[in-house]
Amino acid sequence: MNAWIVAACVLLPAGLGPCLWRACRGEPAQRLAGMSLAGVMAVAVFLLVARGVHRTSYVDVALVMAALTPAGTLVFARCLAGGSGQTPQQWRRAGDQGRG
Amino acid sequence: MDVRHGFAVALLVCGMAALLLSALALLALPTPYARLHALSPAASLGVPLICLALALDAGPGRAALKLLFIGALTAVSGPVVTIVIGRTMAREGEQPGGDAPGEPPA
Repeated sequence: MNAWIVAACVLLPAGLGPCLWRACRGEPAQRLAGMSLAGVMAVAVFLLVARGVHRTSYVDVALVMAALTPAGTLVFARCLAGGSGQTPQQWRRAGDQGRG
Repeated sequence: MDVRHGFAVALLVCGMAALLLSALALLALPTPYARLHALSPAASLGVPLICLALALDAGPGRAALKLLFIGALTAVSGPVVTIVIGRTMAREGEQPGGDAPGEPPA
């Protein structure tokens, strides 16, 4: 039991818990924040565990996670936006025209 | 415990504090736009500090370079993801006819 393992054991419930709680409640676009932060926490946990158990090859898992988490969040945000490709200004203009 | 390990543990404690504070902010802040602010300290301060601590503990070599690369990747992707989530939330809040609260994007 070294400092890295202790840090990972602290981070697993105290860091990932609030993120998963936020990712399970609220509007879909607001859950993305919790999910993204959960990915960042998971990268940190993987790095700490890899150092704690002295398996440097496990760092590759954290590297893949760090590359895939932002990509996944971007894809989810794109899906939530409906794939229209419009900027917020265009959305606002379309909404004003729809009301007027 | 030599000096290098001491520095590494100090950096680890700083990174852990940033990560835990941002998790606490995600849980405690009331509005969705305020909660977005919890993402940046974790991605651009917490994980890079932990990577720096691990690289310092690993010593010079390929392993340290890989750890620093992971830290840089997270630090770059954090603001991008925050901007995208903010844009998505603003777009959903401004949909015509949507019953979501029209909160101004701060």
